[in-house]
Amino acid sequence: MEEISKQFKGLTRRKASFLLLLAAVLFCVALVALTRGPASVGFKGTFTALFGDSGTAHAIIWKLRLPRIIMAILTGSGLALAGTVFQAILRNPLASPYTLGIASSAGFGAVTAIVFGAGFCSEYHIAGSAFIFALISSFFILGIARLKGSTPETMILAGIAIMFLFSSLSSLFQYMGTMQEVQEIVFWFFGSLSKVGWGEICMAGAMILLPAPVLIKWSWDFNLLAGGDDSAKALGVNVESIRRYGIVLASLVTAGAICFTGVIGFVGLVSPHITRMVIGSDHRFLLPSSMLTGAILVLSADTLGRTLWPPQVIPIGIVTSFIGVPFFLYLLMKRERDYW
Amino acid sequence: MRNDLQILKLLAKYVVAVGVLLLVVCLILFSGLTAHGLQSQAERTTGKIITFKDADGRSIEVRQPVKRVVVLTSDALEVIRAIKAEGLVAGVNSGISRDPLFWPRLKRMPSVGRWSHPNYELIAELNPDIVIGYAGRPGPVMERKLSSFGIQVVRLDFYKMFTLKREVKILGQILNREKEAGQLIAWYHKGRDLIQKGVKQIRYRPRVYVESYSKYHTTGPGSGGNEMCVLAGGQNIAAGFSIPYPEVTPEWVLAENPQVIIKAAAVSNAYGITGSGPLKKIRKDIMARPAWDHIRAVQEGKVYVMESSIWTGPRGIIGVLHMAKWFHPDILRDLDPEQIHREYLEKFQGIKYRGSFVD
Repeated sequence: MEEISKQFKGLTRRKASFLLLLAAVLFCVALVALTRGPASVGFKGTFTALFGDSGTAHAIIWKLRLPRIIMAILTGSGLALAGTVFQAILRNPLASPYTLGIASSAGFGAVTAIVFGAGFCSEYHIAGSAFIFALISSFFILGIARLKGSTPETMILAGIAIMFLFSSLSSLFQYMGTMQEVQEIVFWFFGSLSKVGWGEICMAGAMILLPAPVLIKWSWDFNLLAGGDDSAKALGVNVESIRRYGIVLASLVTAGAICFTGVIGFVGLVSPHITRMVIGSDHRFLLPSSMLTGAILVLSADTLGRTLWPPQVIPIGIVTSFIGVPFFLYLLMKRERDYW
Repeated sequence: MRNDLQILKLLAKYVVAVGVLLLVVCLILFSGLTAHGLQSQAERTTGKIITFKDADGRSIEVRQPVKRVVVLTSDALEVIRAIKAEGLVAGVNSGISRDPLFWPRLKRMPSVGRWSHPNYELIAELNPDIVIGYAGRPGPVMERKLSSFGIQVVRLDFYKMFTLKREVKILGQILNREKEAGQLIAWYHKGRDLIQKGVKQIRYRPRVYVESYSKYHTTGPGSGGNEMCVLAGGQNIAAGFSIPYPEVTPEWVLAENPQVIIKAAAVSNAYGITGSGPLKKIRKDIMARPAWDHIRAVQEGKVYVMESSIWTGPRGIIGVLHMAKWFHPDILRDLDPEQIHREYLEKFQGIKYRGSFVD
């Protein structure tokens, strides 16, 4: 008994160490990202400008590079958190923040604002519209869940229906739009971190970081859900409630993450899997570690996108998709043990 | 009881019967279609043949007289109106009726659908001699669908600065408006000469950041914006890029520190708008971008917004005139691009001068 207790404590310590290691890696990647850019600020210059008073270098660091880095971290952690929660709630390893059609509905919101904004719409209008429609889709799914029961199968099917509905509507509006509007829409779907400032960070930060502690608090419930609805219920988990509120909060996090930056794919799907391979499926560690992994992924992808082909920027949605493909192939080839 | 051989023989007879029936139906259909095509062509067998290379680089033959034209693009329609050939228009694209102020006489013409996805049935029903569309879109399917009706597809862009004059000349020949086409070309030359005279005197080219319709998407080589900037005597900071519309970071623009910023904006029904409210707002937003107050162009107030009507297209020369004046205000002090715009609208387009195109 003591032996088991000792082993368990050792395992927990290892997981905690991995979490700290991830935080350290994120910090290092952020540092590298802060010092890289087309303006020749330099390594030392970056730190002088960071703590200095004014001047162009100071403005570059505080108004351009830092917001970009922080938004990348927020978006990556938000998408990873939502992805992990969806995978737990839907008990499906292929679930992602976009499984329930959120990307399609947010995209539709953006398309609507761009096509019907008649040139008057700003970034905030587009983001607001994307956010509202993202939430509309998740409430719609909840409505269906109330009528037909909150099983994973019901929700995934409803999500697929939503995805097709909003994709078709987006296509219809794009068909009706002018060349310039279509171009704008295409670029929105590619994803971009160039357009975010401190105002957007505060809003996105609130939507991503406020639900996070609640979702992490439900870690034990997510652990128990993995064993099936019946055994979870027998162990005292209010399965219907967890599923419904989990979806609302995870959708809020996803909507907050993508409404300002556009659709950034693969991170929500890939981060939980990478983390699970190292740390296992205990959501007390999986959720925060997944968030850190997602943050590292998005930040690295953005830095790569800015520096691979300078001064042109490869849109972040494209870079993350490229990262996802080899990862999936690797998963396919190397399934030595069932970690799911 | 039938044996296998008898069943096989029956099956073979059945297959042959169906095959013969299908062949007969195909023959009837084919002859019907050909007859229609021949009939349409028979109606067009008189008159001179004009041969030219269209915007796709294909050799096209058009038999005169051209009495009916379906026009898929508003650029081509604008040129047709400028060479006084409005009366030949039989059908237009769906965008024309949405801009009734700019197209007072053509807004009620039959619509054949979008410039990129026209309805071939509607076009065939209108029985035009030619259809004018952009090179590349719609694709070769348009030629395939319309050739059986004897309708010639002519691909002319009318928005690229370097091919515009050639295309106007070709259109003048096809529609028997060579004199009017010559007058329009003379007007383009007037504008070009004004610019070239000014540009000859410049001692340097200011560094310019040209932003296209989407935020942080600049105009590289191969784009209209780059062409216009160079013609106007500016130096596009994105001239060394490898794609026409690359995305850049705001930090890069800061690092390049351009002396002038030009922004292309699309405002719907710009012709009908009084006052430059929307364009002013766009300009204000650009100048308020984070850290952009460190850019020389923003500090000196040299940020300009141009509406899409004069950004490339048949009126692109007016956009270039504006740009030239913004780049070299001392040399081109007496230049009044909007006066030239007024002349174009009133003399060539037959409509009043109004609208808001720059800020």
